Amino acid sequence: MKGFTAAFLIWTLISPSGGAPPAWPTHTACKDSSLEVLYQSCDPSQDFGFSIDQCSQHLKSNINIRFGIILREDIKGLFLDASLLTGGESVLNYSYPICEEDLPNFSFCGKRKGEQIYYAGPANNIGFDIPKGNYQVLLKLYNEKHSMVACANATIICS
Amino acid sequence: MALPVSCLLVAMLFSASCKATTFSDQTCTEKEANKTYNCENLGLREIPDTLPNTTEFLEFSFNFLPAIQNTTFCRLTNLIFLDLTRCQINWIHEDTFQSHHQLDTLVLTGNPLIFMAETSLLGPRALKHLFLIQTGISNLEFIPVHNLENLESLYLGSNYISSIKFPENFPTQNLKVLDFQNNALHFLSREDLNALGATNLSLNLDSNDLKGMEPGAFHAKAFRSLRFGGILDVPVILKGLQNSTTQSLWLGTYWDTESQDLTPAMLEGLCEMSVESISLRRYHFSDLSATTFRCFTGLRELDLTAAHLKELPSGIQGMNSLQKLVLNVNHFEQLCQINAASFPALTDLSIKGNLEELDLGAGCLEKLENLRRLDLSRSGIKASDCCNLQLKGLHRLQHLNLSYAESIGLRSQAFQESPKLEVLDLAFIHLTVRVPQSPFQNLPLLQALNLSHCLLDASNQHLLEGLRGLRQLNLQGNHFQDGSLSKTNLLQTVAGLEVLILSSCELLSIDPQAFLGLGNVTHIDLSHNSLTESSVDALGHLKGLYLNLAANSLRIIPPRLLPILAQQSTINLSHNPLDCTCSNAGFLTWFRENLHRLEDAEETVCANPPSLRGVKLSDVDLSCGLTALGIFFLVVFLFLFTILLIFAVKFLLRWKYQHI
Repeated sequence: MKGFTAAFLIWTLISPSGGAPPAWPTHTACKDSSLEVLYQSCDPSQDFGFSIDQCSQHLKSNINIRFGIILREDIKGLFLDASLLTGGESVLNYSYPICEEDLPNFSFCGKRKGEQIYYAGPANNIGFDIPKGNYQVLLKLYNEKHSMVACANATIICS
Repeated sequence: MALPVSCLLVAMLFSASCKATTFSDQTCTEKEANKTYNCENLGLREIPDTLPNTTEFLEFSFNFLPAIQNTTFCRLTNLIFLDLTRCQINWIHEDTFQSHHQLDTLVLTGNPLIFMAETSLLGPRALKHLFLIQTGISNLEFIPVHNLENLESLYLGSNYISSIKFPENFPTQNLKVLDFQNNALHFLSREDLNALGATNLSLNLDSNDLKGMEPGAFHAKAFRSLRFGGILDVPVILKGLQNSTTQSLWLGTYWDTESQDLTPAMLEGLCEMSVESISLRRYHFSDLSATTFRCFTGLRELDLTAAHLKELPSGIQGMNSLQKLVLNVNHFEQLCQINAASFPALTDLSIKGNLEELDLGAGCLEKLENLRRLDLSRSGIKASDCCNLQLKGLHRLQHLNLSYAESIGLRSQAFQESPKLEVLDLAFIHLTVRVPQSPFQNLPLLQALNLSHCLLDASNQHLLEGLRGLRQLNLQGNHFQDGSLSKTNLLQTVAGLEVLILSSCELLSIDPQAFLGLGNVTHIDLSHNSLTESSVDALGHLKGLYLNLAANSLRIIPPRLLPILAQQSTINLSHNPLDCTCSNAGFLTWFRENLHRLEDAEETVCANPPSLRGVKLSDVDLSCGLTALGIFFLVVFLFLFTILLIFAVKFLLRWKYQHI
């Protein structure tokens, strides 16, 4: 009886837990006295690396970013969708074409599935002041066939 | 006794938990039975037994195969296409593909290859496409030379290759595509290019940081296309291309690449080579003048997308061969600033996505008598009185795209200058039709007209008068008065229609005779309206249609309408609030029997009753009316009732007689 209980307890310890996929860790994209940007990958198959050079509440135009990821899809076309969320609902949507088949803006446009990309350079953004508060932003990168390239839940804390 | 028993139990439980892990792994998905399989991202360490020997197309990327040898794929001898992207492959040992005679394409992208054995690619009779992108190669001798005589494409991007010189016995004669983008090629000499004798080769040298080239390195060579994207020193490259011939030369640059401003002197090298089509995207031009174009005279196509142009200089001479000119994403304020008269032979002009509001002016393109295609979409155009002055002289125009303009006002016979128009795209424009007559008169050759989201009043019956040849009509997003497509409508003047799109038109009803004149129609899209079942009556005389009724208000389809649906070839009824009760029994049976002609059957779900909400119609199986069991019980009940009645009558009569 004792042996049975022991075996049972050992089995429950080592048997695999339910089928829930592990969540990727939350990373800090940049941190400053006035602004903190955190992100977590929502792509179940992989994580990615991202950081912003010199973030501040007065976001400058054309900030430098670093981005590293393994491509799970070809990116002849690459599009970014950003939605500002409040209470889980999206209140503001923004869509931007980074690469288009007839207008490749960056040197990494057209890279193929399986390649790793490391991009360090300007983000070509407009400068604006981030109002104080906590914001949740959902970012999705997808290709011309609407296959996911990257997904991130970002938190912007501006104090 | 207790100890051995508990040990046995422990052993059993261990093995039970191991079994649990294998069951939670997924298996490969089958794309086409016995032929195409996708095993991506499953953490596999070997070819699973479940894959049949007949597999021809296998996607095996993002798995784990540190070494591959003659036993790894030996069972799958019918392989034609094998994708091993990012499988962590370090070693490709000898004879890995010895029994794969039909292997045509091998993808090894993203594997950190340490060694490929000499005979590793022996076996395929005609290996055509080999992908070695980002595999850490620094020297072309790494690739085993044997059995590559039939190679047509070789992709070597994102490696560390510093010299393009192929080893002596490397077979290059059949190569059509050679991709060296993003390597470490800093210098190209004539000797390096000796082996590239094949004509019709497309050579990609983008993003290589080319610092120099031996002058005349490409001497007497002919290519289908050459790409030198993101180059730092344009004149040096052009000097190296002296006396060479190429159909297409791509010299564009990117936002994340530092590039020089191009002066006229820098482009002089183009005079010494033969090019048909050139792209200079994203470059800035300084001292832009007619001299800049001095060496462009032999060109057939010129792409100056995003070249920060405000105007093209006047006085450009000799561009008599130019057929296609692309000026997208520039900063023109007026169409006349492109000085179109410099390009008299132009057949194709594109000024899409202009970053300023483009003023079309009057007769700016008058000298382009041969123009066939004109694309001015997404350029912020405002033209209150269009389009005869603006299109003056374009008598041969066949394709016109003005979509996403700000606002356009059409007068009657608005396209009189271009009677040969075949395709007219006016989507997403705030269109004002100034006159009761049709603005499209005198366009007998027009085949396709896109008026989607133009804020038109589609109840205007005369809108499409004169378009007798029209085959495709897109009226998506326009509204009809009272949400009704009435008996007399604008479709009567376009009886030859084959494709009709009326989605998102806020339609509530369609008159049964609304489509009477459309005998040739094969495709009708009525999705995203609020139509009910009665609108199906209008389709009674049409057969073999593709019919899209998705996202409407169809609830119960009465039996009399089922023959109309049955005579069409493909129907989409998804996202309707369909009833799954016995009052819709006839339709539900018909649906289940006709799944082969239903599009999006997985999205066609019940809305009613609440217990069945969200259930797919194909999964619903109601029993309505009297079943056999019901009839049996009814008969038994009637029999018992009759007996009871006889006994009751007998009892009553006896009681009566007893009391007489």
